[in-house]
Order: sequence, then C-alpha cells, then structure tokens
Amino acid sequence: MNAQARRVAAAAVAFSLILADARPALAHGFGPTYDIPIPLWLYLYGAAAAVVLAFVPLALFSRKERDADAAYRYPRFDLFRVPLFRALLTSRLLTGGLRLLSVALFFVVVIAGLIGLQSGFNIAPTFVWVTWWVGLSFFTAFVGNLWPLVNPWTVIFDWVEGVVRRLSLRDGLELGQPYPETLGIWPAVGLYLVFVWTENVFSGSYVPRNIALFALAYTLMTLYGMAFFGKETWLRHGEAFSVYFGLLGKFAPTEVRVKDPSVCLGCDGCDDNAAGRCVNCYACFSHAAPEERELNLRPPAVGLALSEKVPPGGAAFVIVVLAGVTFDGLLETPLWLEIVRLTPVTQTLGVILLPLLFSGLYLGFVELSRMLGGGGEGGFGRFAAAYAFSLVPIAIAYQMAHYYTYLLIQGQMIFSLVSDPLGWGWNLFGTANFEPYYGIVGAGFVWYSQVGLIVAGHVIAVYLAHSISLRLLRDPGRAFRSQLPLLVLMVLYTITSLWILAQPIVK
Amino acid sequence: MARSLILIVVIVLVLGGLFFLLRPDTPAGAPRDRTFDVSIEDGEMSPAEISVSEGDSVTLRIATNEPIAFHIHGYDVEREIEPGQRAKLQLEADLTGRFEIEDHESETELGVLQVRPQG
Repeated sequence: MNAQARRVAAAAVAFSLILADARPALAHGFGPTYDIPIPLWLYLYGAAAAVVLAFVPLALFSRKERDADAAYRYPRFDLFRVPLFRALLTSRLLTGGLRLLSVALFFVVVIAGLIGLQSGFNIAPTFVWVTWWVGLSFFTAFVGNLWPLVNPWTVIFDWVEGVVRRLSLRDGLELGQPYPETLGIWPAVGLYLVFVWTENVFSGSYVPRNIALFALAYTLMTLYGMAFFGKETWLRHGEAFSVYFGLLGKFAPTEVRVKDPSVCLGCDGCDDNAAGRCVNCYACFSHAAPEERELNLRPPAVGLALSEKVPPGGAAFVIVVLAGVTFDGLLETPLWLEIVRLTPVTQTLGVILLPLLFSGLYLGFVELSRMLGGGGEGGFGRFAAAYAFSLVPIAIAYQMAHYYTYLLIQGQMIFSLVSDPLGWGWNLFGTANFEPYYGIVGAGFVWYSQVGLIVAGHVIAVYLAHSISLRLLRDPGRAFRSQLPLLVLMVLYTITSLWILAQPIVK
Repeated sequence: MARSLILIVVIVLVLGGLFFLLRPDTPAGAPRDRTFDVSIEDGEMSPAEISVSEGDSVTLRIATNEPIAFHIHGYDVEREIEPGQRAKLQLEADLTGRFEIEDHESETELGVLQVRPQG
C-alpha cells in the first residue's frame, strides 16, 4: 500500500472518532452510519405485514391444551453426546484459553484507554462499543451465551480466590452477607440504565480514557459485590451484563442444562428444582458433575417461554433493554431533535422517561389482556412478570436491524487495531494498515433485511406471548381472547421500530 | 391441517400481492452521467447532499474559498483543492449507502453522498 492510501486510511479512522467526539448532539458511542433510511413504501409494507402476521401464531396454535411442562418439551440435541464435540467443548485448553483471552483483552482495553492515543487510533472504543457490545450481543442471541465463561470479572475473582486459598489466608473471598431478596435484580436494572445513559447521552463515551475509567470503576464495584454477597448472588442480581447476556441467552439456539436435580437444591436461579428443569442456570451448570451436564441445540427463542422464576425487577429489566435500544435510534430522528431540543438534561430525561412510558404501555396492555382472558391465578403481578420475556425478540430484532451493518463495516476496524492497540504506530500482527471494505452489503439488501428482521422478531414475540398465555390460563379460548390486547402492544412496538428506521438522518 | 395450509397460502398471497402493489416501478435502470457543481464556503457545502443512483457516473466540479482536502468516506477518494481552481472529481457510484464527505484539512464534515440502490 502506498503512503497516500495509508494516510487516507488512518485519517478515515481518526475522522470517525473525531466526529463522534465533536458532535455532542449525537453523543452515543458509535461512529457514522452508512445506511439509507428505509423508503416509505417499505415501511408501510412492513407495518402491514406485522399486523397480518400477528394473527398467524394465534390461528395455527390456538387449539392445543398446555400443561405446566409443555414449555419444556421441545426438540433438543445434546452436543456432549458427540465425543468429538464433548472433547473439544470441555477441553481445558479451549475454556481456559477463552478465559485468559478475555482477561487479556480487558487489560489491553484498560491500558490502551489510560496511556494510548486519545484521539485517533485506539482499540478501546472500537473493542468495547463494536466488538464486545454489538458483536457479543449478536453472538449470544444467535449462537449462545459465553459470558458466564468469559466474564473477565468472574475470571479475575476466581483467580484471586485461588491465590488466597493457596496461601491459606482465608477460605475464599466471599463474605456471604445475606442478599435482600426483595431487591431482586433492581441493582442490575439501575446499572444497566447508567450504561444506556453512558452509551447514548454521555458525550465522552468514545474517549478511550473514559472507557478505561468506567471499566475500572465497574470492576471495583463488581468485585466488591461478588465478595460481599457471594459471587453467584451478585452475578444474578447486580452484574448488569450477566443479567443482560443471560436474557439474550434465553433466545439462543443453545442451552446448558443440568440433569441431576440435587445439584439445584438451594439455587434460586432455577425453576422449582424439578428434574430436567435446570435450564440456562450457569451456577448449577458449573457445580454439576461432568456427566450431569448437557449442552443442547434447541429451537431459537423457546428459552423465553419457560416457566422460570422471574425475580423482582425482571420485567423492568426487559423493558429497560427494549427502551434502551429504541432510544438509541429515536435520538437520531428529526422528531426527537425538534421536540426535545437536545441538551444533556433532556436526553437524560429521555433515558429515564422512555422506559417509564414503555412500562406504562406494557402494564396497561397486560392488565387489559388479563381482564379479557377472565383473570387468572396469581394476579396482575404474575402476568406482568410472565409476559415480559415475550418482548425480548422485538428488542433483539431491532438491535440487529439497527446495528448489523455497523458491525460488518466498523467492526472491520478491529483487524487493524489489534496490531496497534495504543495508536503508537506498532504493527504487531502485520494488519495495522488493513482498510475496511465497505461493499459487503448493498443498501437495497439492508432495507429488506432490516424490515424482515423486525417483522420476524415481532412474529416470534406474538408466538411467545401466546404460549405464555396458554401456560397461565390453561384454556385455549381464554388464551386467545387474552392475546388481542397484546397483539396491539406488539404491533405498536414493531411499527415504532420500523418508523425509526424510516426516518431521515439528521445532523 | 388443511385449514392451516389454506391460511398459510392466503397469507403468502396477501403479503406477496401487497409487496408488488406497494413497490414502486423501478425507473429505467440505465446508468446515467451525473454532474454536480459543488461549492464550499467556510466549511459549508452546497448542495449539502449529493444524491445519485447505483451505477451512475458521477462528476463533481468543486470550488472552494479556502484550501481543503476533499474526501469521500467509503469510496476513499481524496483531492486537495486550492481556492480559485475548479477541481473535477469523478467516480463510479458502485457502493450503495450514505457516505460522509469530509475536509481532512480541518477534520470537519462538509456533506453527504447518498447512493440509492437500483430497484
């Protein structure tokens, strides 16, 4: 590559970062988008398809009676039964290697953030916002949840605990303070809201040093939480990313499962400790003997219909995730810019008010649904908690539609950044001059795939809500009636997602 | 079973029909030669958005009142332009999407090149 081309490539990188920095109005942690808004006719078509297809799951599946175990009966295939997969997936080399890599990347990001070049070439913003946040979210939803394995904070905690034990200073790090059960996962809800604020409102979210400082502060808090309340307790209730990736993992086409119910005794993460019901409980999975573990392939999204215990704040977390991804797109619409007049204060209000608005809508429609379905045991709280998971596919579909081109194009930056993580002119792997290729997906394909994804997420959401209602009401007729308000709710959310994608891009 | 099948067929027909009904007739797809006179004054480009179709041959005739490094993102073309000259920049619009046009001298955004897909 000649010197001119190198200069241009480096400047292009620098420029996208400077843009993100220089425009406080568009403060969120992402660089420029290359997508053209979807045309009006396609938006209308998507909206019409959402309305028509909403009735399909109801029409096709409304006659089946469901018992309490029905949600657990889906086809699955245990990958551990194949000796090759078992050897590969359980090898210390792979799992230990991934954990080591994750911690190494964590320290590279922190070091690059602290001492690397602050404007221009630096691995921290791209790794955190593109590779990890967008990339790992997609991986979790469409492949499976790796976070419990690679979460750098648990790895560090385990290592420190191992050292403490070996030196026989103490018997482990956990202080074992009782966690107030009524608090549920509200700490994770709060921390996730702070994260959404950082991503969308905080104008310095792309500055490497801020990323490093935030990461260090969060590390201290997480390690303290794990030590104070116990590792598993804090991961399930307070570690926002464990809760977030756990939620996406319920959508994934893979699951971990523990066969022996005695493993689950005393675990509040599983359903009701009945045999074969410990699904996606990573704490039990890690304690179980190897022959009691399963790693199953399963149909996508079925994990969201399971009758798992929903802790206090569980529904709120789903709403905050949905509102968070929507807010990100909403910020860039002319409507928002004109009405709200972007200032950090109004944006911060938006981060708080949008989840409240979404919650209000959700709770209102759930109550309507409960009334139309003729009530039901457990009251309003049980219904509000149970239906929340059905919204997850809508959030995943919107996030995918909104960011997949971003991951495909900006994500390529990571190839050059790994060779020069600090921006000091290194070329560790010989890839420092790698230039992103912009022509991976054409704008026409992007339009159709965006609309297709959003409508597909919507249909899955309607299907899930319906199977949840069959579980709650145990009567196909009542379940059918109870779904009509929820259909309206889902169509509302979906049309909002499509509408945002159809908005002209404003500066 | 038969009922489900009929339902699926009806829905496919309705949605398929609606798609062809709503989808606009694509304009004659032949690539065109498009020429734009672009003037840049104190970092403001007019027109601020250059909109073309995929496959077009685009010629930009650029005038500026201060020295700039005119750069189109994605296409990665860059031209240094002095005041007083009218620089000519040609490109084949083969990448679709929205690409920012920047001045690499001052690192400011000048405008946007939008290439709409065919069909």
